[in-house]
Amino acid sequence: MISTLRALPTVFSIGLQRQLAYRWNYLLRALFSAMPLLVSWVFWQAVFRTKETVGAYTLPGLLTYYAVLLIVESVSSPADDDFQISREIREGMLNPILLRPLPYGIYRFFLFLAGRCAYFTAAFLPVVICFFLLSRAVPLELGNLDLFRGLPALLGSALLQFSLTLCLSLTSFWFLDISALIFLVYSLEFLAGGHVFPLDLLPTPIFAVARLLPFAYEYWFPTASLCGTLSREAWQAGLCLQFGWALAFLVLAHFIWQAGLRKYTAAGG
Amino acid sequence: MHPFSLFRLWLVQIRYALTRELAFRANFFAWVIVELSWFVLQLAFVGVVYHHVDRIAGWSRHEMIVLVSTNQLIQQIFTAFLMPGLTKLPELVRTGKLDFVLLKPVPPQFLVSTAQLEIGPLANAGIATLVTGMGLHALGIVPTFASLVAYLLLLFTGLLVHYALLLFLVSLTFWIVQAESVLLGYYSIFQVARLPREAAFGWFRVIFTFALPLLLVANIPAATLIRGMEPGPMALFLLTSLSATLFASLFFHQGLRRYQSASS
Repeated sequence: MISTLRALPTVFSIGLQRQLAYRWNYLLRALFSAMPLLVSWVFWQAVFRTKETVGAYTLPGLLTYYAVLLIVESVSSPADDDFQISREIREGMLNPILLRPLPYGIYRFFLFLAGRCAYFTAAFLPVVICFFLLSRAVPLELGNLDLFRGLPALLGSALLQFSLTLCLSLTSFWFLDISALIFLVYSLEFLAGGHVFPLDLLPTPIFAVARLLPFAYEYWFPTASLCGTLSREAWQAGLCLQFGWALAFLVLAHFIWQAGLRKYTAAGG
Repeated sequence: MHPFSLFRLWLVQIRYALTRELAFRANFFAWVIVELSWFVLQLAFVGVVYHHVDRIAGWSRHEMIVLVSTNQLIQQIFTAFLMPGLTKLPELVRTGKLDFVLLKPVPPQFLVSTAQLEIGPLANAGIATLVTGMGLHALGIVPTFASLVAYLLLLFTGLLVHYALLLFLVSLTFWIVQAESVLLGYYSIFQVARLPREAAFGWFRVIFTFALPLLLVANIPAATLIRGMEPGPMALFLLTSLSATLFASLFFHQGLRRYQSASS
């Protein structure tokens, strides 16, 4: 147990080094991530030309949602962890990892943490510039951010996204190529997760269903918590569901891993 | 090399790629579903926004559906024929396998662009065509033969813009060792093409109309079907897309000069 704990800072450091080996790739990724915010600005500006409010949102309120979403995404979304895990299984790179006295899930979680730290650092400057430019055109409501409610929800989002990614990637024990599955789930995350629009813009019955699904707790819930648009009761219920889903996916990942290992054949040196 | 020879070579490459694709039929159906889900996502977005408003920048719900599905149609044709080859370039450069392309007596840009094919997106292009037709039907529009021909030509012009942007982005790989994020860049930047042209303003409109004409890619073909042909914007679209393609091609060749074989 102690030796496992001792190894974790090293795993984190390896993860950081791995990420920073390709700085330009990272910087480009961070720069491009600001593009959807720009497109949202232009699109919603046109929508609000004829109306003061859309749903419960004003234009500054809606753009603040997209701006905060950018931060949530940079802190909690896995980059290419899914493809890395899949490659490790498919190409037999799992062999040396299995020999180490370190649970695979914890090993991947620390690599995920390192990736998020590196990405957040790389994305910081482009995001700040984007916020600055946007705030000159529209008065963003960033002063009202609720960190007390937002930070636990952000943590839950990272845990949920990691556990879901782990579950999906571990199916590589059975499938040669899981990229189609990964992109299918991406599209669900974007639509039902509140990435394309805040979920509370949906018609009420559909919104009620969307709130029960795990995807809502990946983007919409942490963003709405940070923006301070949720009531106390809604936030508490949301947090319970978010951590509940994360725990469920972690347990599922454990079972998939055990079943997968029984199928795995270590070949080569 | 004679253009006809290039065309024959392209047909051979398509036949080879088709054989390879059909060997993985489950993969084919999986990708049809994936691409379809992204299209549904775009239509759902339109549905949600028009649940709250009647018009956006002068575009009604069904006009917007024609715009979004036209964009999808162009993107899917591009994804079928040109994108798979281009996205392999970073890997070819990093592993040194570009050597095998350069050794062949064919222009490398042609080989890199056409080496791969995906047939899944063609099924989705069919679905996008169907949705475009349904949008036009809901609007009560029956396109004339001339506007349909113009629409097809404008789709081809839109493909050039897609091609120019992705060729430029993947050519960055000659300067940056790992450039896999350029694909993310392509998808991020191309979100602009789904915007109604009238929604854009200021420098955003200038850049994405004259420098990289993304605002014209789906807008001009869709507007041609809905409102009829407008020679001015059509000529501007053709001119800017040709310029963008030329620039991207020059950039690719500039990058090619920096390439150092990994095997020697």
